[in-house]
Amino acid sequence: MELLEYQAKELFRQMGIPVLPSQRIYQPRDLRSLTVPYPIALKSQVHTSRRGKAGGIRFVENTIDAMAVAQTIFHLPIQGNYPELLLAEAKYDAEHEFYLAVVLDSSSRRPVLLGSQYGGEDVEAHLDQMQQVIVEREFSPFYARRLALKMGVEGTLIQSVSAIVEKMYTLFIHYDLDLIEINPLGINVTGDLMALDGKVTINDAALGRHTGLGQLFPSLLSQSSLQTPSGGLNRVELEGNIGVLCNGAGLAMATLDLIHQAKGKPAGFVDVGGEYRQSGSRLSLQESLQHGLDWIQQVPEVTVILINLIGSTFSCLEVANAIADSWNTRVFANGSLVASPQLVVRLVGDDFALAQAHLSSLHVPVFDRLDDAIAYAIKLTI
Amino acid sequence: MNFSSNSNVLIQGITDPLGRIYAPRMQKYGTRIVAGVDPGQGGQIIQGIAVYDMVEQAIAQVGTIDITVLFVPPYAVLDAALEAITAGIRQLVIITEGVPPLDMVHLLRQAEATETLVIGPNAPGLIIPGQLLLGIHPPLFYQPGSVGIVSRSSTLTYEIAWELTQAGLGQSMVIGIGSDRIVGSSFQQWLQILEEDDRTEVIVLIGEIGGDSEEMAAQYVSEVIDKPVVAYLAGRTAPKGQSMGHAGAIIASLIADMGTDIGTAESKLAAFKQAKIPVVNRPSQVPDWIKKVSNKINKG
Repeated sequence: MELLEYQAKELFRQMGIPVLPSQRIYQPRDLRSLTVPYPIALKSQVHTSRRGKAGGIRFVENTIDAMAVAQTIFHLPIQGNYPELLLAEAKYDAEHEFYLAVVLDSSSRRPVLLGSQYGGEDVEAHLDQMQQVIVEREFSPFYARRLALKMGVEGTLIQSVSAIVEKMYTLFIHYDLDLIEINPLGINVTGDLMALDGKVTINDAALGRHTGLGQLFPSLLSQSSLQTPSGGLNRVELEGNIGVLCNGAGLAMATLDLIHQAKGKPAGFVDVGGEYRQSGSRLSLQESLQHGLDWIQQVPEVTVILINLIGSTFSCLEVANAIADSWNTRVFANGSLVASPQLVVRLVGDDFALAQAHLSSLHVPVFDRLDDAIAYAIKLTI
Repeated sequence: MNFSSNSNVLIQGITDPLGRIYAPRMQKYGTRIVAGVDPGQGGQIIQGIAVYDMVEQAIAQVGTIDITVLFVPPYAVLDAALEAITAGIRQLVIITEGVPPLDMVHLLRQAEATETLVIGPNAPGLIIPGQLLLGIHPPLFYQPGSVGIVSRSSTLTYEIAWELTQAGLGQSMVIGIGSDRIVGSSFQQWLQILEEDDRTEVIVLIGEIGGDSEEMAAQYVSEVIDKPVVAYLAGRTAPKGQSMGHAGAIIASLIADMGTDIGTAESKLAAFKQAKIPVVNRPSQVPDWIKKVSNKINKG
């Protein structure tokens, strides 16, 4: 989960990474009690990069301008997101802007330090200047110095830049981060460093053991529960008319590919897998199916639902019973038949014939070959 | 690598919900499970398997253990794995999903220093059909034969194994390396193992979008592997920028806006093409392709 800039900077401040004096602004009138001296930057707090280009970062000289600009930014959507608050921050005169980051690299299976002397908005144009150092063994500050030297940093800046990297790494390990980035790291004429913007992404799988973060930023907890509705079912919404329910991300992706190949249009998928996920809430098969079907049926365009379940801990008959139960309560809601998408089921495993017989009596076709199930589902949409 | 029906296998987390379900299934398949471990649960017997509080106690009782299969909760995986390594076990299969990636970084540093093989996490494990089950592969989908499979996705592995079995093509060894972002063993390691395995004649590589493991595997195949390899890639039509459920399968560089296209279907297909690895469009085409290649070899 990605933190907002002000949250990231709160962690920076705790770690001793230099950040500018700032204040959170929840409504324009909060600017009347501003303690940060003008001129200031007003920054939209949304989970989106390129805020500056979108008009979400503006510099102002006095309270009157600040209140007008704040009003504007509160009503400015950036990639569809409105800020709940703004950050009012002192201005900094940077001579140079560097880029620094620590990320987890899945190829080397190690944290990697990244750095460039071309930070800020130049970073994309100078990707060839991006330097990296893999932290092969336990971290020690020499890794950070190695990065500074590769970046071409000289003199006293070597120690001050590497000290920042070291603090970033400490945060990275302590909070189980996927990413910590300072861009830009401002350097002024006297060689002082300042984290002018920051990005921190916490690994979702580790969030549960960082209760301190939840106390620091109560909104994080509500966000994380929002991100995993229905007990952590993964789902993706698309724009077609065939809803897909699978029990695995790989299988779900393959099923979408097959529908596309057959000229069908998936309306999205829900993955009810996670049978060997042991943290968080564990749903029963029945509950997973119900939540999954609930979600698919909310998509108005869906005319067909393809359920594709393979290799679970349950027999086909158990799965069929669970499908039938949750389907019956839907189709016969309030005692009368309600309009509903058509169901196509694909199962493999023990008791397949029994499952087929059971669901067939409810007019739900059951296939064991995936290609057949997809062909049938697509035929129903034509 | 030393996996056989003679291997002594430990189950860590045997009293956890999945341990209780799968330990008996593995045992029934012929896997020689010699003990279970769960702190605070020592002294119990589960389906005839004695449970100990610590790995070292189990070893003191039953002797050398070759492999451990872990079903412990995510935040307990690192500790349990380090306990097993310290006790001298050199092959770990981690079934648990959602292990914090930095725990894996820590674990893998220790594993590399001790030459320990780590499968997973978030993996269905390994099956040698008819002989050995280490993990949660549904045995029904497999039969003994000569096709080796290495995969990043569990249910998709079952899908393709089932297609092969239906077509009368058995499997020599099937490995799901895991779907989390940081997993212990790589495609390359298993390609090498399957290359050296006498029973394996053809290799199926099952990949998906995200990360760069397919790109690296493709290069490895072109440099090192002599056996025929066919690939299947899932997620070609997945929407960009969306998390597809697997931690690695997100087409967006972690460092936003950097415009890198590593991990896309296009970069993977290009890598397979460059390595002259045929890519089939559907799981059901895997058996057709293998039959064609086998005919060529037999006429050869």
